[in-house]
Amino acid sequence: MISDLNKEFYKLIHQKITWIAPLFVLVLMIIMGISMNGSEQKLLIMTSYDSSEWILFALVVVSSTIFTLEFQNNTILTTLYKSDNKLQVYGSKLMIVLIYNITLHILAIIFTVLLQLTPLNVHLSWLMINQYQQTLLSNLLVTTLIDIVSSTLIISIIFFTSCIVNVNSIVITLNLAIVFLGQSASSSLMMANLKYIDVIKWNPLNMINLTKQYYNYGSYHFVSHLSNSQLLVGNILYSLLFFALGYVIFRKKKF
Amino acid sequence: MLSIKNVSTFIEGKKIIHDVSLHIKPGEIVGLIGPNGAGKTTFMKTILGLTKFTGDISIDEQSVTENNHQALRKVGALIEHPAIYPFLTGRQNLLLYSESNSDLEEIISTLKMEKFIDKKSKDYSLGMKQKLGIGIALLNNPEFVILDEPMNGLDIESTIMIRDVIRKYAEQGCMFLISSHILGELQKVMTQVVLLRSGRIILNRSMSSLNQDSSKKYFVQMDKINLVEDLLNHNNIQNQRVGEYLEIDAQNIDLMQNLVFQNGLYLTRLEPEKLNLEEKIVRILSDKEGSNNEE
Repeated sequence: MISDLNKEFYKLIHQKITWIAPLFVLVLMIIMGISMNGSEQKLLIMTSYDSSEWILFALVVVSSTIFTLEFQNNTILTTLYKSDNKLQVYGSKLMIVLIYNITLHILAIIFTVLLQLTPLNVHLSWLMINQYQQTLLSNLLVTTLIDIVSSTLIISIIFFTSCIVNVNSIVITLNLAIVFLGQSASSSLMMANLKYIDVIKWNPLNMINLTKQYYNYGSYHFVSHLSNSQLLVGNILYSLLFFALGYVIFRKKKF
Repeated sequence: MLSIKNVSTFIEGKKIIHDVSLHIKPGEIVGLIGPNGAGKTTFMKTILGLTKFTGDISIDEQSVTENNHQALRKVGALIEHPAIYPFLTGRQNLLLYSESNSDLEEIISTLKMEKFIDKKSKDYSLGMKQKLGIGIALLNNPEFVILDEPMNGLDIESTIMIRDVIRKYAEQGCMFLISSHILGELQKVMTQVVLLRSGRIILNRSMSSLNQDSSKKYFVQMDKINLVEDLLNHNNIQNQRVGEYLEIDAQNIDLMQNLVFQNGLYLTRLEPEKLNLEEKIVRILSDKEGSNNEE
């Protein structure tokens, strides 16, 4: 397993997109900071300058590549026979993307702290009480933690779709659509079927609302029809389900 | 030693390889030949535990299964196309799988890849990629190497070099299973030939026995050829005049030599009929079909 992890890590750090993605996130965080022009400063800090959207975008591109790259270059055969079994190949790829996800979120926190020091932003005390009777710093850390869980669901959907479709561009397009249109699709579905809303509200696309609902409960609870903790549990369970389904497809795949 | 016993491979429920058995000893170079769709690549993938199969595959008495590849730790392979990450240089592609730096440098110099090894592999020609793919297969002193069409895209110089490298590794005890459409190339390097057709092994011979079996005719040259021709005809030994030579069936060669010797005549040349690998195999297969029809 260690050997597989090392190989996946080696491949990840040698791809340009791995290094471009954090810069891309930073640039969009700066743009967000400038465009807000000092208003909603607390919300900006709590959400790491709305980095969750840009991190998801980066994760879709990087995660989609991790499988499709192997299929497109025929390297999957070597990766598989050099590994002890398919679970190790799948598991090591999963671990590397999860580590990358956490790294992007940690970088987003660091960028937030650095951006706070620039004259572009209104300086606020990290210890001031903000949402949920917590300090601004706690809000930032909890939002980040919640966003890590929420983005793990997206990663699990990417792994699932990557194992079904081998073409990189299709996987990226499909998952970007899920990330950016999934919430509204889910909302429209619920609005169109109010009779069955108690069932439909548990659909996986509705779970993507978790981060937004955490920092903006008032607006998003009416969209999701679920509490924060229900969304959190839903995210975890659906992540496990999609990872498991992805593995079953990967195991049965013809190489 | 590689041991394959009664292996059948299934893809999407369809049986592709039928009850195949094969043994390869250290130092042997087995050429796997067969028409397109015979199951050569599937058979190679099966040995690498990449397909669903029944039967037993073991390397040095350690079993290979679809979900346990520990026995493949000392196995290298090039299947279908070279497995290369385009965003890595050739050296980085090797480093990904290499266990020792000295081995890596040796592979680079043995396969003469110094000129391009530090360039991004996305810019490689087909021949460069092929060399790199073979290099990956030969990393870490493998005990068994599978090469699927290794000469694809290689120029003459590289082909000769790869052939020498294969022989060198085989002399050190490495086993090879090589498939190729270029039978002439395989003929120069293999010690055993396996013919696969519709997922079944229909021929498995060492090259030496193949040479003996398939030489059905001999060409004889001598000074008094007319005299010998009469002598053979007189003794009802079938022969045919071909220019300065007499063509005689292999089964009659001892009889002919005795007659010539008893009559104080001398042979100046005795040569078995030279067939290329393709002709030999076609002849063996037609003999087999003939004997099957008789049965």
